[in-house]
Formats: sequence, C-alpha cells, structure tokens
Amino acid sequence: MNILESRGLYHDFKGLEVLFDVNLQVEEGERHAVIGPNGAGKTTLFNVITGTYHPSRGQVFFKGKEVTGSKPYQMARLGMGRSFQITSTFNRLTAFQNIRLAVLSKKGVRFQLFRKVDKMEDITKETDEILKRINLDRERDMPAGMLSYGKHRSLEISMALGTDPDLVMLDEPTAGMSRDETHYAVELIRRLTEGKTAVIIEHDMDVVFSLADRITVLHYGQILATGPPAEIRQNQAVKDAYLGELEA
Amino acid sequence: MMKKKLRWILWVGLIVILALYPRVFGIYYTNFFVTFAVFAVYSVSFNLLLGYTALFSFGHAMFFGVGGYGTALALKHIQGFPLLPAILIGAGSAVVLALILCPIVVRVTGSAFSMLHLAFGQLMYVLALKLRNITGGEDGIGGFPIPPFSIPGIVSIDMKAPENFYYFAVVVLGVSLWIMWFFTKTPFGQIQVGVRDNAMRVDYLGFKVPQTKAVVYVVAGAFAGVAGSIFALFQNLIAADSGFGILVSFGAVINTLVGGLGSFFGPIWGTAIMQILEEVTTRYTDRVELVAGLILILVIMFAPMGFVGGVRILKQKWLAHSAPKVKLEKVS
Amino acid sequence: MESTTAMYVAQGIHGLAYGMVLFLVASGLTLIFGMMDILNLAHAAFFMLAAYFCYQFLSLTGNFWAALLLAPIVTAFFGILLERFLLRKIHAFGLMSQLTLTVGVSLVILAGVKIFWGTESLPVKIPPILSGLVKIGGMDYPVYRLFIIVLSLVVLAIMALLLYKTRIGKIVRAAVSDADMVNALGINIPLVFTFVFGVGIWLAGIAGVVIAPILTVFPGLADQMGMDAFVVVITGGFGSLTGAFIVSIIFGLLSSYGVQFVSSLAPVLMFAFMAIILAIRPMGLFGERE
Repeated sequence: MNILESRGLYHDFKGLEVLFDVNLQVEEGERHAVIGPNGAGKTTLFNVITGTYHPSRGQVFFKGKEVTGSKPYQMARLGMGRSFQITSTFNRLTAFQNIRLAVLSKKGVRFQLFRKVDKMEDITKETDEILKRINLDRERDMPAGMLSYGKHRSLEISMALGTDPDLVMLDEPTAGMSRDETHYAVELIRRLTEGKTAVIIEHDMDVVFSLADRITVLHYGQILATGPPAEIRQNQAVKDAYLGELEA
Repeated sequence: MMKKKLRWILWVGLIVILALYPRVFGIYYTNFFVTFAVFAVYSVSFNLLLGYTALFSFGHAMFFGVGGYGTALALKHIQGFPLLPAILIGAGSAVVLALILCPIVVRVTGSAFSMLHLAFGQLMYVLALKLRNITGGEDGIGGFPIPPFSIPGIVSIDMKAPENFYYFAVVVLGVSLWIMWFFTKTPFGQIQVGVRDNAMRVDYLGFKVPQTKAVVYVVAGAFAGVAGSIFALFQNLIAADSGFGILVSFGAVINTLVGGLGSFFGPIWGTAIMQILEEVTTRYTDRVELVAGLILILVIMFAPMGFVGGVRILKQKWLAHSAPKVKLEKVS
Repeated sequence: MESTTAMYVAQGIHGLAYGMVLFLVASGLTLIFGMMDILNLAHAAFFMLAAYFCYQFLSLTGNFWAALLLAPIVTAFFGILLERFLLRKIHAFGLMSQLTLTVGVSLVILAGVKIFWGTESLPVKIPPILSGLVKIGGMDYPVYRLFIIVLSLVVLAIMALLLYKTRIGKIVRAAVSDADMVNALGINIPLVFTFVFGVGIWLAGIAGVVIAPILTVFPGLADQMGMDAFVVVITGGFGSLTGAFIVSIIFGLLSSYGVQFVSSLAPVLMFAFMAIILAIRPMGLFGERE
C-alpha cells in the first residue's frame, strides 16, 4: 500500500512555478530518497505534503485518505513527522525538554493544566529512553542551542521521530556534517526508522545509496525518474540532469 | 534532602515575615507593600505573555483597568455587593475582554501584536475618559463601599482597616501568583515556552498554536484583572489614568525588563526595585522623569538581562571561579 | 453661504497643515522603522526639542528663518548621537529593548527641557511676512498655514529628489529592501543608517519649528504628536511613506473637521480606526511586513 501519494501536484509562488505534475508514490515501510539538483523543488514538495503550503493544484493522500491542504499539526496528529534542513529546535530549552515536547504530543497531553510536567514519570522515562537511544543522555540538561552541530542535528532528527510517526520526512538530515558525523547519522536514521516509512531529501549520494530502497529524482519541479538505486544509477536522463548542473 | 529542607525553611520564614510585616513597619509601608504586590502580580501576568510566549502586550493595562472598573462599578451600583464576587466580576470582565480579543490576537505576531495592543490599550483609555456617565471620566469612580470579608454566620472582617486589607490582598495576590507559577510548570506551560522559542516546530509536533496562545492570553488577562480589582479596592478609586494609562502599560514592561524577563520571578524583583527607587527618588528630587529615564537607559545598555539575569551571570562566574566543574544553566 | 464655505475652506487648510506636519514627523518614524527596524518612541520628544531650540534661536537672533534653519539641524545632531552611541549597541537585543531605551531617552529629554526652559508655555511669534490672511481667488486664506503646507511639500519634494535621483538615495532605497545585500556590496551600512536616522529626526525637527507658533512651546508637545504620529505609522504601514502620507492627511482633515462635529469622540474614533485597520490588515494599509 502506498502510505504517501501525491497526484498531479503543482505549486507556484506568485507566478513562479516550482512543482509540475508531481506524482510521488511512497510504499509503506520503505526508505524513499528524493534527490535532485539545487532548486529542483524538493523542500517545496515537502512543504506541500506536510501542510506548510496549500498546493496550487493536485492532491496529497496519506494512509489512503486525502489530506491536501491540511495544516502541519493535523498531519502530525495523523502520524507524519518532519525534520528541517536548517536545524529548528527549541534552542533555549534543554535537549530533554525538546524531546519531551514530542513525547507529550505523542501521548496526547496537550491542554493539561493540572499537573506538574516534571512529575509525570512516564513521560520522563520515555523521554530519557529516547535520549539514550540517540546518545544524547549526557547532554540531557544542556540547552539545545549549545549542542555541537552533529548532536544538534541528531536532536533535530529525533524530534521528528519523537512523536512516533508512521511516516517521517527528513529534509537533508546530514546537511553540514563531517564524514564521521554522517556515518553516525546514517546509522541513527537506519535504527530509528525501523518499521517505519521514511522519505529523505539528500544531496550526499553515499547516504542515498546506503539508505534508500527507492529513489525519486526531481528536476526543475518535475519527477525525472523513480526506482531502485541500481536503476537510477544507470538512468541516462538523470545523469544528464546532474551533469548539466555541474557544467552550468 | 538538604535543599528541600532549606526551601521549606525559607518559605516558612517568608510567611512569618509577611505575617508580621504590618506590625513591624507601620501603616505607610503596609500600604507600600500592597501596591507592590498588586503591580507584581500585574507584571507577572504580563510576563506570561512576553517571557513565556514571546507576545509583547503593549497595552496590558486594559485588563488591569477593566478589572478595576468591573469591581468598582459592581460595588457602586449594587447595594451590599459582597467582596469576593466583586473581585470575580473584575477578573471576569478582564476574561471577557481577553476572549473578545482572542480571535484577532492569535492570528497576529511580533510587532503587529504589540501595536494592536497599543491601539486597544489606548482605545480603552480614551473610552474610559469619554464615557463619563459610566466611568466617571477623568475623575473615575471612587468612594464606593468596601465590603467586609465575610463568611456568613462565621466571621466578618472590616476591609477598610489597612492591616486587614493587607492580609486579604496578600493572600489573594499570593494565590494568584501561585496559580500562575503552577501554570508554567504544567505540560501546557512547556508548550507555551516551545511557542516562544519556535512556534513552527510546535505546530509540526502536533499542537494547535493559536489555541495555545489563546489560553495563555486569557489567563494573563484574568490575573491582570485580579490585580486591577484589588488595586481599585485598595485605593477606593479607579480612574482612566490609574487604570488604563499608558504609563501603566509601560510599567509592566519596565518592571519585567528591569527584573529580567527570562524568569518567573523576574517581574516581581523588577516591581520591587522600581517601586523602591521611585520612593527613594521622590524624597530627594522632583526630577522623577530624569531619574526614571536614566535608569531605563542604564538598565538597557548595561543590564538588558535584568536583575535576575544579572544574578545568574554573577552566580555562574562565581561558580566557575571557585570550582573546576562548570554547571550548565538550564534556561526556562 | 459664502461664510460657510469660507469656514469649511479654513478648516480644510488647518487640517491640511496639521496633516502635513504630522506627515513630517511620521515619515521620519516610518522610514527609520522600515529601514532599520528601530521603533523610536523618542521621536516625538525630538520634535518637541526642536520647538524649544526654535524658541531659543529666535530669542538669540530674533530671526525666525535662522531658527528654521538651525533648530532642526541641531536636533538632528542629538538624534545622531542617540543612534550612534545607544541604539546601535542594542539593536540585536530586539524590539523590547529599543522601546524601553527610547522611552528612557524621551523621559530624559522631557526632564531636560523642563530644566533648561521651565514648565511654562513659551510663545513663538509668527514672522510678520507670514502672518495674517491672503486673498486668493476671492477667498481669504491664513498665510502661515499655507506656508506650512508649502514648506512641507517643498521639503518632501527635496526628499523625493534625494531618494530617487541621487546615488545616496539609491543606496538608501536599496538598504530599505535589503540591508544585508547592500552591506555585502561594500557600502558602509552603519553610516547609511546613521544618515537616515539623522534625516528622520531632522524632518521631525522641521515639524517642531513649524508648529511652535501655533501650539506654543511647552513640555506636553510630545504627547499628542507622539501618539498621533504613532497611529499614523501603524495604520499607514511600517516603512510605507505613501501610507504615512495618506493617513496623515486623512487624520489632519478628520481632526480639523472632526473637532467641529464629533469633537468628544475624535480620539475614540482614531483608536477605533487604528484597531480595526490593524485587525484586518496587521501590517497596516500599505505595509509589507508579515
């Protein structure tokens, strides 16, 4: 079953067309990479799917239901998580508090006004477990803004996963990372997305080929090709697109 | 364990001091304290919006004034209206105002939010001036009956005596503070600070941001209303200037900034500092504006993090100095 | 019949004159905010300060024109001091700090004028050339009010010329859109900012000198003008000169005619108007911030 599907998706910004007839299909349980040269429309595609933008035309289906134009919080409650290319955490809150917010959402604790959050033991336990899994337990009480870049990105990714979504959208998770940090991040993502579906925007081809089950190539807002890594590697149109970008 | 015991002792000590205060310091300073308590609660409610949700309510006085007028009007026009319901009417009016403004307020952020509040705050001020028949215009409403604090059949305490009123006010305002404090410690409080730091992320985590802001807004308005209500009772007067004046709105800002907006207790310290400073300077000079202006400039230029922030930094420096292991400060 | 028209016309001229003065003050405020993101609550205090300087120069030289020339420049100088040594440092701290700092500055200026000139109303006489009435097309017009309108338009024309026909103007316009970019091009942005700030205060200074004979010079000058200018900037849109202009004229005319017909409700209407505009369009009528 396709857990995520877009049909005839178009989007433009005040006349500037960014997405053309995008028909993305993501199978349940797979790790699906979205690649393409800069400006191809990858983040816009994410924004349309996760609810930041209402597409100019077309539809988005999540778990079989139409969700076009839903708001981000609605998508989150339906089971979709999202991480950002530019790290977007709660910088003045500690790593613990950051993850805890995701856990609170998962547990549906939203308008709880009558208990001290610090006293909610189950929440604290779960948050600490997550911190341990992503190796941030020692930085538990450090303000997020003070974490090292790699750890900060880890936090960013884990917050997308903290609500235990069925589908997680990761926007360039390894952006700006060193070789080692990237290795580590890839393993983290692999571990954390077990049993889930993941759509990942990436520029680093090594990451893409080591993680992805299938790849969609986006170019000037249109899907150039979709298929398993081996196929994409051989695809002439894809090679031309990337080569053209290098020469330009 | 030690820490908990220490805390207990401090709290008990504080209660004892508060209880004995009027006896020790006399009427003038008892009244001084009540004024402080009123504006401390008012400033803390303002900070719920600013320091905790990053909403700069530039016209917060409107809730204060509405609370005061609500109570005053009830007491003036309804014979024998009891004390606690009068305060509830005041707070309730402020809540109604907040609910009315909610839909507009939650859709707007940043400087637009501030300016909108400036507009509304001034609108309320001007309305209070112009609707003389209801509000008494510039003179305001005064001399209304101050009902005793009474539990039918058990006790009736005269609230016109400064000492009695002091205890009553301290309890009501203290409870208000406690409620607001607790509010910040709930899961909802966490969402609130999340909104302050990164509203977009909160949205993506599955929370409804506008509704969150609305709840905080109403709570902040309600307690500003309580403060205004007590103020009206205390002075037996509420007028356009003292209730809705721009200086009242500014006052909240200044108290919070001077005290430190990153912490719950900041505005309380700020109110204390500013009130003491005002008291001291009026003794020695007429030029209150000059001193006030200079203080503001100095605080912003040299201590923008406020009193609490400054103390924190000093503490960190001292800790770094005296121990090799640096304790990282948790902010929030 | 004729006297009613004459009255309406006179009201209109008064309103336009006030509107123009209001625009001079508001334009500086909105330019400064639009370009530098600085909300200067002391702007009106400078307006008042210029009026006091006008009085002082007039006492020293007996020449209104000298005062008109010098007072705004001296006031702008103080404005530049404020920007250079105080505002620049706290820019990173955000809106609240700016507001509080400029409130502090306005209090100090207020205290200052009281110390140097006392609290009483100081008169400034209209120079004989500009006093009285002039007959144009069969109707009498107050000369001084016309002077205000004409002078304001001239000043604005010069500003427009500067903005659109000179290199400096080009830089300023570019900086309003994208200060970082201009900075990246190697232009000394801080200097440009200081210059614009100075010009903004200078405009308020002209307004202060020009209004002095009408309102007389007293410590409360800043209050009314401050609030009015603020409302104009907010409803017109932060950073929008067009918006400031249109709203200023409307306000000028409204308050002039309004005083006649709905006097007691005028301030209420003003703030209600402002609140409504902001509720529908939070960025003001012509503003572009989101």
